[in-house]
Amino acid sequence: MDFQNRMTLPEELDEPAQPAPAARPAALTPQDFLRASERVLSVINTVIDGKPEAARLALTVLLGQGHLLVEDVPGVGKTMLAKSLARAIDCSVSRIQFTPDLLPSDVTGVSVYNQASRQFEFRPGAVFANIVIGDEINRASAKTQSALLECMEEHQVTVDGVSYPLSEPFMVVATQNPIEMEGTYPLPEAQRDRFMARISMGYPDAASEMEMLQTHQSVSPLEAVHPVVSAAEVAAMIGAVQGIFVSQAVKEYIVSLGRATREDPQVRLGASPRAMLQLLRAAKAGSALAGRDYVLPDDVMDVADPVLAHRLLLNRRAAGAGETPSSVLAAILARLPVAAGDGQRSFGGR
Amino acid sequence: MTATATRQGAAGPAGAGLSGGPGGGSPGAGTMPWVMAGAVFCAVAGSSLALNGVFRGWAWLPAGLVTTGGVLAAGAFARSLRAPAAVVHLVQAAALACLLSTQFLRSHSLLGFIPVPDTVTALGPLLGRARDTLVGETAPVQPNAAIVLAACAGLGAVAILTEALAVSLQLPALSGTGILAVLVVPALVKPESAGPLGFAAGAAGFLLILACSQWYAGGTPGRPGLSAQRSLAGGQAGRAALTGTAALAVTVLLTAVVPGFTTGTFPQGSRFNPWGSATGLNPMIALGNDLREASGQSRMTYATDATTPLYLRAVTLDDFEGSVWQPTPRDDQRQLGVGRMGFDVLGPGQSGKTTTTRIDSGDFSSPWLPVPYAPVSVLGLDGKWTWDPETLSIKGEDTNSAGQNYLVRSVTPDLGPAALAAAADPPRSNLDRQFLALPPVPDIIKSTENSVAGGARTPYEKALAIQRFLRSGDFTYSEQAPVDGGYDGSGMDVIAKFLQAKSGYCVHFASTMAVMARLAGIPSRIAVGYAPGEPTGRTVPSEDGVKLTEYQVDSRDAHAWPELYFEGLGWVPFEPTPSRGAVPDYAVTDSPQRPGRTSADSLDPRQAPSGAAAAPSAKPTTPAAAAPAPAQPARGTDWLPAAAGLLLAGLLAAAPAASRAALRRRRSGRPGGAAPWDELTDLAADYGSPPLASETPRRFAGRLLRGAAGPQAATDAVAASPGMPGPAGAPAEAEAALGRLARRYEETAYGRPGPESGGADEARREEARRDLSAVRSALRGRAPLLQRVRAVVLPASIFSRWGAWLRHPLRRRRRGHTGHSGWHAR
Repeated sequence: MDFQNRMTLPEELDEPAQPAPAARPAALTPQDFLRASERVLSVINTVIDGKPEAARLALTVLLGQGHLLVEDVPGVGKTMLAKSLARAIDCSVSRIQFTPDLLPSDVTGVSVYNQASRQFEFRPGAVFANIVIGDEINRASAKTQSALLECMEEHQVTVDGVSYPLSEPFMVVATQNPIEMEGTYPLPEAQRDRFMARISMGYPDAASEMEMLQTHQSVSPLEAVHPVVSAAEVAAMIGAVQGIFVSQAVKEYIVSLGRATREDPQVRLGASPRAMLQLLRAAKAGSALAGRDYVLPDDVMDVADPVLAHRLLLNRRAAGAGETPSSVLAAILARLPVAAGDGQRSFGGR
Repeated sequence: MTATATRQGAAGPAGAGLSGGPGGGSPGAGTMPWVMAGAVFCAVAGSSLALNGVFRGWAWLPAGLVTTGGVLAAGAFARSLRAPAAVVHLVQAAALACLLSTQFLRSHSLLGFIPVPDTVTALGPLLGRARDTLVGETAPVQPNAAIVLAACAGLGAVAILTEALAVSLQLPALSGTGILAVLVVPALVKPESAGPLGFAAGAAGFLLILACSQWYAGGTPGRPGLSAQRSLAGGQAGRAALTGTAALAVTVLLTAVVPGFTTGTFPQGSRFNPWGSATGLNPMIALGNDLREASGQSRMTYATDATTPLYLRAVTLDDFEGSVWQPTPRDDQRQLGVGRMGFDVLGPGQSGKTTTTRIDSGDFSSPWLPVPYAPVSVLGLDGKWTWDPETLSIKGEDTNSAGQNYLVRSVTPDLGPAALAAAADPPRSNLDRQFLALPPVPDIIKSTENSVAGGARTPYEKALAIQRFLRSGDFTYSEQAPVDGGYDGSGMDVIAKFLQAKSGYCVHFASTMAVMARLAGIPSRIAVGYAPGEPTGRTVPSEDGVKLTEYQVDSRDAHAWPELYFEGLGWVPFEPTPSRGAVPDYAVTDSPQRPGRTSADSLDPRQAPSGAAAAPSAKPTTPAAAAPAPAQPARGTDWLPAAAGLLLAGLLAAAPAASRAALRRRRSGRPGGAAPWDELTDLAADYGSPPLASETPRRFAGRLLRGAAGPQAATDAVAASPGMPGPAGAPAEAEAALGRLARRYEETAYGRPGPESGGADEARREEARRDLSAVRSALRGRAPLLQRVRAVVLPASIFSRWGAWLRHPLRRRRRGHTGHSGWHAR
């Protein structure tokens, strides 16, 4: 891959070179980070059997300050995943069941005239929580869905010209069914692009299903879940992730990967610069969860499919030939040269 | 421990006068360059001792030592100033040029030592002389300025090469090639091969180089050296020396025990003749070589109407005022045109018979034309030829004898014992005094002459007495004895030794008889040419219908015989060499050996055992039916280009492995995690699993030992705790080593830049070395035999490097873990 005519990197791609310790609260050591993340993952894994990768990715998205879209057939535990993640963290959780008649103000909140004070008062909507579970998001109208846009992107709600910041951490975990049903509205591209990652739960294997039948027949496992980390701890973990070092080589790899999705002849719509940014954040969170303070190309590869696949639109021919965004992406990853680490420590030329 | 202190510590025992360096972050080179230069000097100068015997005496040695030492000292000085390697070798080359100028071309140089264009001009003739010496003379040669200049230039070049290999390229083991190059010359040229002295001295120097480079390994300037491992370095030096000494001892013992080594592998007494084959007889009596050739070459045929086979005479040696017999040029007397030589061979009242001979000189190449004595006309020659009225030798001015086909008419005077006995007058006064001149004669020759010929009255009787003495049973014909006894040649001391040893070949017999004849007052000279050879069994019709009997002569028939002057009769050939040639009628005596008159029987040196003990009488008789001779004699000097070709091919074949080893060595000394990783990827490429461009380090590492494993397995390989057994047969140790290498490289390539931890660096390098060797042995254990061999002999990584370099020679390469396949251009 030739970088001679490289594109300009999104701003934040260059930014995280700032030293990590400054951004990281002193209390959080790498060991603390790993222990906290282990606790969260173990909680989720007690609720959802046999899906450790999904749990890990959910945590990755949380730490990468993104939003998660869980897509699968009904009944495989999408909502359970979202709920267990929310429960594991000692923070505010709200749940919105999206329906066709859901109004935008139900999501964001509404200004109500207070007779006593003779003023409009803002009554926060369901989105004012640390973790917002949007169930079956594609059942809501486009109007309501777009109400989520500003919240997800800017972490604030603007009603009647007044902006209300959302509390941090803020994460939307939305679920949707891939099977088109009566009265569903597919997520517009712009909204899909705002989700950092999309995962499919997939069916559990037989052993996990057996386990589930054994343990979960009477009581919901969610009942037994208690918070294992505080919102402040999560904020500190997010800070730590922000301080993860990204080498020039990895940034170049991300850029070349984005360009490759746009230049691929099978792809109609490639990954956006925002997608690159989110890919980097996810990779940083992934490397932090792996106990490293720097990002490897492997981290990028590991999150590439969940982060990028739902944003790619294939052209008709590729779709007709049975290609999926995931398969196209896998092919790109298999052929894209990995940028070599070169400049961080100079040992002279060969 | 700082780098400076480390280096001092390492250098401490090796030599005094430690210079700590100019200080700061730039430690000086210290004693290392000087010690290494000393070791290289010991090796090159030591091996050059073997050149004694290629040159006569030791007069060349000081010049060689000065040149070698000067070149190395200049290089060491440049190194002590921390000059780059290229500059060091430029300095050495400049020093070599200056040293050669001041020693050999002082008057042509600026200030006596700076080479200028005039120096180069003056160099030309010197090189020409050196070439003539190389081509023409046999070892040992008289060390003239030209040949010593050539030797010094060679030694200087070898010194530069050896130093470059040992120090610049850090391949001390390969520096032996330079020493070998010095030893090869005497091994090729000297009959007794390189000899123990030069070999031992060169080998000792080589061991010294090995020991010194081992001593300084890792402690080279500018690098953090072996800190706590000083004792280890010392131990390694000791081990290296021990191993080397053991190998040498085995070599020496083996050669002593196994037959066939004692005389050297190469044909003996060969000329070192890299510029083509001047296979003709050389006037400087290079006969011995031709005689000792196992197979004849320079085949020449002649067809004659004479009833007896003929001696073909090429040149006459009459000047014995110097140290050796040589021809007198007489260029002013030579006359042009040999078609009709206006010379009266026959004296007044003498009768003779005319012989017609057609000669095809084949590939016999010499400025002197072989003709039967005494020629009166030579027809059919190409080129310009002159003849000397004094000796009747025919010489080409601008041509040589190769490929000539010519017709010679010669006149042989009828000589009988009576006529010779009557020729008792002293030689005519206008005969060139040259034919009687002698350098100081050793007593043994005088006394021998006196006892042999003292009682004879006439010159003829004296000549017969001398010939009888030399053909008596006391003397044996041997081509080998003079070589072994160190008296090969034709000088006066050679004759004295020959008279003691009583064994030699035609040169000795002829020159002894010629000298003794001169002592007895008979003018004499030595004719050099060919003994009659063998009949081929064919006849060739001449122009006038006479059938000419064809004979074949090759280099093994090379011969020398004395010609004595009898007043009134002219020059008369004699045959003092037992078992060679044919004794003329007039010279036949009742000596114990009476060789038959016909050519081929019992006279053929081809049948002569080369041992000194072989008495002529014991020689088997070859029936004349042995003719025709083998149709195509093998060319004897073919081995030289073949050997050179083999050597070159060997070097070429070793080049990939050598540069691979050099690369590995360079990398093992480099700090950081990238160098071991580069080495690992190259290693994998050598064993057929190069990294793919799209592979991350850990994916590659996972694939390398597990074969086709998924990315998850790959991740496991790196994340696996050390010591965990690998699932697919690869030793757990290698798995763990691979994981460590990958992690270290990831840290280097993608991790947060930070200061190098200097102290831990050496330990890390050591760990990387261990890991690499673990991975290597795992790869080797898994690979089939062919792949193992290929990985060593033709490493793929080197070829792809060379290929990349050839495609983009000027492009600066960027380090990449993907190795050769993942070059990234900036």
